[in-house]
Amino acid sequence: MSESNHAPLNADALQYVQYDGDKEESYLPAIRQLISKDLSEPYSIYVYRYFLYQWGDLCYMAYDSSSTLIGVVVCKLEPHRSGTFRGYIAMLAVQEAHRGKGIATKLVCMAIDAMKARDADEIVLETEVTNTASLKLYERLGFMRSKRLHRYYLNGNTAFRLVLYLKPGTASKSPSGDMMGGGYGNMGPETAARGDGVMTDARSSP
Amino acid sequence: MDPKMDSGFLLPNETLEDSYNVLAPILPEEVIGIMDQLLCYEMAWHTGYPLSQTLFTSVYIDKLLWPEPKTVEEAQFYRGDLPAGRRPGVLLEVLRAYCLALVKCCDFVIAKITGRDYFEEEDFCTHTYNRVLFVQVPLDVFLRELDAAVERMEDTDLEMSSSLRKAIISRLDFRRDFLRALDLDCPLEHLSNYWPPILSNLTSIFTTQQLGKTVPGSFSTKIQRRLASTVPPRPIVELEFKDAFEKLKQLCIDCEEATRFTSLEPDPLEYQSFLLVFASRAPTPLPYSRSYLATLLFHPQILNATSSLPLTDVRTLVLPCSTILSPANWSFSPPRNPLLPKPPRLQLALLVDEFIERTGQPYLDFWTALGQNTCRLRRMLTHVIGGWDQLQTDASIVDADLMRVVTEMGMRDEVMDSPLTVWVYQKKLWMIEKCVLLGFEQDIYLPDEYGGMYHFLSLISGRRKVVLEAISAHFVTRARQLQHADQLPEAADVEDGAQHIASLISEADGVSSLGAALASFYTVLLYLKVLPRPARPFSSQELRFELRMKPFLALQPPEVPPFKDWLDKVQPYGPYELPSPSFLADVQNADSQLWSNMDANIKRAKEAFSAVMKIGATNAKCGGVKEAWARDVKGVLASCVALGIAVAGVRSRVARSGGGIKMEVEMGVQGLGIGIEIPLMGTAKRYAEGWVVAKVVKG
Ligand SMILES: CC(C)(COP(=O)(O)OP(=O)(O)OC[C@H]1O[C@@H](n2cnc3c(N)ncnc32)[C@H](O)[C@@H]1OP(=O)(O)O)[C@@H](O)C(=O)NCCC(=O)NCCS
Repeated sequence: MSESNHAPLNADALQYVQYDGDKEESYLPAIRQLISKDLSEPYSIYVYRYFLYQWGDLCYMAYDSSSTLIGVVVCKLEPHRSGTFRGYIAMLAVQEAHRGKGIATKLVCMAIDAMKARDADEIVLETEVTNTASLKLYERLGFMRSKRLHRYYLNGNTAFRLVLYLKPGTASKSPSGDMMGGGYGNMGPETAARGDGVMTDARSSP
Repeated sequence: MDPKMDSGFLLPNETLEDSYNVLAPILPEEVIGIMDQLLCYEMAWHTGYPLSQTLFTSVYIDKLLWPEPKTVEEAQFYRGDLPAGRRPGVLLEVLRAYCLALVKCCDFVIAKITGRDYFEEEDFCTHTYNRVLFVQVPLDVFLRELDAAVERMEDTDLEMSSSLRKAIISRLDFRRDFLRALDLDCPLEHLSNYWPPILSNLTSIFTTQQLGKTVPGSFSTKIQRRLASTVPPRPIVELEFKDAFEKLKQLCIDCEEATRFTSLEPDPLEYQSFLLVFASRAPTPLPYSRSYLATLLFHPQILNATSSLPLTDVRTLVLPCSTILSPANWSFSPPRNPLLPKPPRLQLALLVDEFIERTGQPYLDFWTALGQNTCRLRRMLTHVIGGWDQLQTDASIVDADLMRVVTEMGMRDEVMDSPLTVWVYQKKLWMIEKCVLLGFEQDIYLPDEYGGMYHFLSLISGRRKVVLEAISAHFVTRARQLQHADQLPEAADVEDGAQHIASLISEADGVSSLGAALASFYTVLLYLKVLPRPARPFSSQELRFELRMKPFLALQPPEVPPFKDWLDKVQPYGPYELPSPSFLADVQNADSQLWSNMDANIKRAKEAFSAVMKIGATNAKCGGVKEAWARDVKGVLASCVALGIAVAGVRSRVARSGGGIKMEVEMGVQGLGIGIEIPLMGTAKRYAEGWVVAKVVKG
C-alpha cells in the first residue's frame, strides 16, 4: 500500500505553514472555526491557547490558493510521568470538501517530523473507535492501538489510544524522581489519557 | 460567540428562572409522560451521564430538592405554607411520591457504586451538585409515600379511565419494587426475590407508554446554572424510551443474575469464573450491576464463607492434602522460652500465614480488575501482573523456608518443588494470556499483527502447560503416597482434585495449539500478501514489538522473547515482501511441514478443547456458570473448525497455482483470487471473541 496514492498534486498545490504566535489574531479564529465544526466536544479558547502558546511550532496549517484555512493539526510535546518524552496530537481536522486528498496525512507527517527532530520518544493520541478515516490515516503511518477507552468522550463514545514509538527503549523508560506516579490505585490509564489534556474536557472528538 | 462553548449565556429576552408552574394541575396522561421521561433520564444517568444533564433537568425534582428540605414533609413542589385552594391536587401528590422514591433510588445507586471500585466519568457520574438525596431518610418513609399514592389512585372518587389509572399504579408499583431492590440492606438470603417482580411488571409500563403525554416545559437546562459545578451547561441527554427501557431491563436481568453469586460453591475459583462470565456478558453490564456483584463478592458473609480465599486457591492448585496446610499446624503454640526452636508444624503455619497475608493485596487487585468493564479489565490486568511478578519473588523466599522445614520433618517427598512459586506463576501466566485474548476481543491488534500476537499467546500458554504438568505429576505422586499409607479417602480427594488440573492442562494445551495454528496461518497470509499491511513509514517492526511487549518486559519469568527470536518465528521465510524461495515450495506443497504442522495443531487444539468439555464444568471450576462455560468451549471448538476450513481453502487455492504462483503472489489478492474477511468485534461473526479466524472468500 503506497502512502500517497491520492491525488498528491492537489495536496501539494496547497500551502503548508507552521503556526506563528505573532499572527494569533488571524490564525486562531480560523483554527477554532475549522475545528469546532468537526468536533462535538466544545473547546474553550483556553484549550487552544494552552497548546498554541507553548507548542505553536508543533501546529501546522494547510491553506488553499485563496488563503482559506482548510486543515490543521495541533500538538504538544513534554515529559510524561511514565518517563518518556511524549508527543500528543490533540486536534486534527480537514475541511470536509478537501478530505481524502492526503492533506491530513501531510499535516500529521510534518508534526511527527517536528517532534522527532525535538527528540520525542513516542507520540500518542486518542480517536473514536468508529472514526475510520482517522484510524486508517494514523495506522498507515505506524501508530498502533494500545488501549480501548470505554466512554472516553463526553458524548459517551469509546476511543482507541494510538501510540507510535519513535525510539527503542521507550517501553522500558521509567519515571524519574518526583514524577513517580502513585500506586496502582490511581494508575488508571484514564489518568494518563486525560492527563494528556490540560483539562478533562480537552478531548479531540469528531 | 460560540453557542456550543458559551452555553451559559442568556439570549436576549431570556430569563434565568423557568416559567414552568409546578403547582398547576396536570392530567393523568401528563403524569405518565413525566414519569416515563424521568425513567429515560434515570437510565441515561445509569449509562454514565451526569445528573445535571439528566434527572436534574426536571423542574419537579429541582423543587423537591432545593432549597434543601429539612424533612421529607418539607420536600414539596413548594416551600412554606400555601392557601388551601392552591395546594397541589391528587395527581401532583402522586407524582411527588414517585419523584421522592426516584431520588432515593439515586441515593442508593450512588452509595452502592461508590462503595466499590469505580471510575468517575468513565463508568458513572456520582456528582450531586450539593443536592442531598435524602441520604438520612430510611427506606420505609418512601415506601409509605408510594403506598399512600397508590391508595389515592385507587380511590373511586378520582375520575379517570381505568387504563390510565392502571398505568399510573403500575409505575408506582415498579418504583416501589425497584427501590426495595436497590436498598443497601437487603439480606443476602433473600436477594434473589427482589428482581423477578420488577421484571414481571416492566411489560405493563412498556405497553402503556403511548398513553403518556410529554410535558416538555417541566424539563429545563437552565437548572444547570444553579448547580454547583465548574463546567458550562451542557445539553440534556436524550435517551429514547425504548432504549431506556432496554437498559432498565438489562439492569434488572444482570442484577438478578448477580444474585446467583450467593449460591455458588464457596470456592475462589468458582467466584473467579462467575466474575469473568459476568464481565463478558453482552450487552456489557451497567456500572450499577457490576457494583452490585462486587458488593456481593466483598460481602463479609461471602468473604468469610471459606477459610481464606487465597489459601483455598493454593490448596486446590498445589498443596492437595498436604501437611503444610494441615489445620493442626495452627493449634501449636510457641515455646515459652523464645530461644527454643518453634515446633516445625508451627513454623509451617507461620510461613503460610505470612505468605497468605503477602498475597492479600495482589489477590484483591486481581478480583477488583475482574469487576471492571472489559476495556479496563485488560488495562488493569497489565498492572496486576506486575504485582504478581513481585509476589512470585517473595513466594520463592517462603518456599525455601517451607522446604527447609518439611525436609527437617522428613516429609520432603510429600511436597512438590516450590509450590507457592508455582501457584503464583501459573496464575500470572494465565493473566498474560487473558490480556492478549482481551486484546483480540477488543480489536486492539491489526490483522498483520495477528500472527505475532497469537505466537506470543501460544508461547505463554505452552509455558503454563509445562507448569501444570509438574503440578499434575505431583497429584499423581501424592495420591499414590496416600494410598500406600492407607489413607484412602484422602487419596480419593487428591484424585478428584487432579481432575481440575487435567482440565487446566487441556485448556492450556488447546490455547497453545490453536494459537500456534493461527500464528502460522496468518504468517502465510502475510507472505501471500492477502492481509492488509500498512506502509508505516515512521515505524519499524522492532519498535512495534517493543510496544506490544511493554506490559510484559519487566516480568521474570516469563521473559519476553528477544526480538530476533520472535522475528524468526513470525518471519520464518525472511521479509514478507521478499520471502526465500523455500516459501513458495512449501506453500505449494500440501504435504510440507508448513501445512502439516498447521493441521496437527488444529487437530490437537480440537482434541484438547473436547477434553476440556468432557472433563466438565465442575472440574473446570465453572460449575456455577456451566451454560456460559459450555457455550464458550463450543465457541472455541467452532473456531478450530473454522480455521481448518480457512486453512484448507488457502492451501487448495495455492496448490492449484502451479508455476504461476510467484507472479500471483506478487499481485496479492487479485493474483490469487482469494480475499480474506476479518470478523470484527461485536459483529457476532466470531465463534469466540478472543479467537479471530479469518474467512477465506473469492477475491
Ligand atoms: C480525519 C481527517 C482529518 C482526515 O483528513 P483527510 O485529509 O481526509 O485525510 P487523508 O486524505 O490524509 O487520509 C485519510 C484516509 O482515510 C480514508 N478515509 C476517509 N474517509 C473514510 C471513511 N469514511 N472510511 C474509510 N476510510 C476513509 C481516506 O481514503 C484516506 O485513506 P487512503 O489514502 O488509504 O484512501 C478528516 O476526515 C477530518 O477532519 N475529520 C473530522 C475531524 C477528525 O475526525 N479528526 C481526527 C480525530 S483526532
